[in-house]
Amino acid sequence: MLPGFSLRIANRLLELDRVADAVEAFGEAHGLSAKLRYQIRLVLDELLTNTISYGYADDGEHGIHVGMAEEGGRLRFLLEDDARPFDPLTARIPDVNAPADERPIGGLGIHLVRSIMDRVAYERVGGINRLVLEKDI
Amino acid sequence: MQLVEKESGEVTVLELGGRLDSNTSKVLEDKVMEILGQGKKKVLMDFADVDYINSTGLRVLLLALQQLKKIQGKLVLSSIKDYMKEVFEISGYTEIFPIYPTQAEALANFS
Repeated sequence: MLPGFSLRIANRLLELDRVADAVEAFGEAHGLSAKLRYQIRLVLDELLTNTISYGYADDGEHGIHVGMAEEGGRLRFLLEDDARPFDPLTARIPDVNAPADERPIGGLGIHLVRSIMDRVAYERVGGINRLVLEKDI
Repeated sequence: MQLVEKESGEVTVLELGGRLDSNTSKVLEDKVMEILGQGKKKVLMDFADVDYINSTGLRVLLLALQQLKKIQGKLVLSSIKDYMKEVFEISGYTEIFPIYPTQAEALANFS
């Protein structure tokens, strides 16, 4: 596995800037296209924003682990948090083919994650949400 | 996020720039509500300088479209960067928004 990045962020939305910077630096080092860099930032943003905004029952500080690496032509991401159990694979997604006036507002983030990534696996282990995402390049 | 408002005939043009995300999209939402409150019905959003949008930003676009449709208004988008287009497609937005390569072409669509 080529070196990637491994970050530990706090559960604050401003921390997402650090993740975006890390993705851009990783993308540049690995020659990833502007589209791929954007889509990776988007996926991590959607998942982490959900966790930070809705995942915690208390106001305390929590750490979230964000890892990214390239391995055999695919990008692999790991997210680990101790928020409430949340499986993005079973979350309801909106009908993106509905007419404009019938479209539900919201729910789009998880749809984007599942559409952009080639593989998503979720498990809850010892009070930790563990999400592994892969994108072929 | 940057936001410049211009008038071109009956069309309100919003030139957007920077990031449309969870920290900034409220600015656009408030501007849309202000425009609706002024009774304006034709809106063009120019994305030429937008380099990032997430689902919060996309949600504001849908909200604006739904509000404008209720009053027989119109919302047109232009100048979306190539690398962001696929996300508009995945979101199903290319089916419900008229999207033009340039602001000039989008304006021509209103006349």
